[in-house]
Amino acid sequence: MKQKAPFLDALLGLVAGVGLIALYAPLLATAALSFFQIVRVRGKLGFAPFSLDPYVALLANGEILAALSTSLVVATMSSLLALVLALMFAFYFVSARRGLGIAMQTMVFLPFLLPPIITGLSLLIAFREIDLGRGLVTIIIAHVVFIVPVVYRTVLVRLQLLGSSLTEASLDLGASRVQTLRYVILPQMRPALISGVLLAFAISFDETLITLFVAGSQTTLPIRLWAMMRVGFVPEINALATLIFLCTAAITFAIGLMQRAGERV
Amino acid sequence: MNTSLRRDRQDLLRAGLGHALNLGLPLLFVVIPILSFVVVSFWTLQDGQILLIPTLANYRTFFTDGSYLPVYLQTVGLSLQVTLVNVALSTAIALFIFRRTPRMRFLILMSFMLPLFMSYIIKVYSIRSILGQRGLLNEAMLGLGLIDQPIEALLFSRTAIFIALAVLYLPYAILPMYLALDRIPANYLAASADLGATPIQTLRDVVLPLGRPGIAAGAVFTFILTFGDFVTPQMVGGTQGFTFGRIVFSQFGLALNWPLGSALAVILLATTLLAVALAGLSLRREHVR
Repeated sequence: MKQKAPFLDALLGLVAGVGLIALYAPLLATAALSFFQIVRVRGKLGFAPFSLDPYVALLANGEILAALSTSLVVATMSSLLALVLALMFAFYFVSARRGLGIAMQTMVFLPFLLPPIITGLSLLIAFREIDLGRGLVTIIIAHVVFIVPVVYRTVLVRLQLLGSSLTEASLDLGASRVQTLRYVILPQMRPALISGVLLAFAISFDETLITLFVAGSQTTLPIRLWAMMRVGFVPEINALATLIFLCTAAITFAIGLMQRAGERV
Repeated sequence: MNTSLRRDRQDLLRAGLGHALNLGLPLLFVVIPILSFVVVSFWTLQDGQILLIPTLANYRTFFTDGSYLPVYLQTVGLSLQVTLVNVALSTAIALFIFRRTPRMRFLILMSFMLPLFMSYIIKVYSIRSILGQRGLLNEAMLGLGLIDQPIEALLFSRTAIFIALAVLYLPYAILPMYLALDRIPANYLAASADLGATPIQTLRDVVLPLGRPGIAAGAVFTFILTFGDFVTPQMVGGTQGFTFGRIVFSQFGLALNWPLGSALAVILLATTLLAVALAGLSLRREHVR
């Protein structure tokens, strides 16, 4: 087993501790500021008593809520579309000739490996070439392009783990291709499908850099927040940040647990 | 005979449709857009109109204009710095996780990965609210009497961009590093210890060499992401945070010079591909040795 090395562990622990603080301090500070606002009384700074005012203001902020609903629509549409495409690509990879599968896979992975700025501007130029005006459709296409690799990867790993014997048995027993897919393959892949879609949803919901290129006048939540922050400080942002923080934490742990459960099967 | 022929034809049709969909869609939505921006980088812009006259002028502008090359080099330097610091930090953090019990590993790794799923724009905003001139850090130090004047360098400076980028992209380096360590068979470590190596020797001669793919992957991720980021420098760097990514983005916004923007983006892409190639090369050399 591992050797004891107290000094080494203390040093590594120190770095890890500093890392955790650097990662979480900004988020915790934002959460704290959403409950205790900083006020300036005669030049001196202090914290206002606990209040939920920013949360109330958030509920009344039509711009943020509209952007939030756009983001939810975009994330839902694009993660479901990505799931269908990812399934198709994964089946193609395991059934087609190896060279073709790898060619497909390389193309599919590209947008995720390239810097987002490259993916964003190449889609912007392509959309203009075909005269597709920037809006909800272009945002959804761009998000699908960006998140398909993630879902594809999750789905493919599970599909390869499954092997071909179940499919062959099902076909031998007289099930049609559709029946095999419906009753044999998909149920076996459920954890991968769910965690893939959740992951895709989270990435789409958060996507900023590509969206800035293809959004046009439509604003998703990150774009709206970006525009608001450039103007100045808005207390509602702290409240919203805290809510998103809690939601993502819950979803992430759900994904993590599901992927572990999937591995164990 | 007739039905089997029809079935053959159906199978052929199905296979053809499969190829068309599975190769056509990525071609249409990934490859062609990338090719099209490379093509646009050779076009001419005249009086705000894009003309289909091939030219190298956009690339010449990058080298001769005097405002692009320095920003490019500064951004490469900044990204390399962030990469270096984050690789060092993430190596230590991954080792820390690696030396825990399996149960603890998952929990600690998750807590380092959780910020990865937090809203990017909100993280930038949070970092700014801590670093800012009127941010929490300055106010706290003022309140404690550690400083008399707010430290201006904490916002709208290169230092601020550096800190923000390092914090934002740290998890991207930790994950590949940890995954590389996780693949090391436990009996290698036991063997090393049995043969009399101290923990430090095991670390230096067994663990780190085997973790090299993780270091390379983490370095490449960090470099690509920091080099291409154009929102963080703008949010925390203000006018001083004029990085190469911002210049590229502005050509598609206010400056409205798509051919030049595309040419600069080609240079950005070439730089990231070079980074990937270098990382790959460093791994291959290790194999030969």
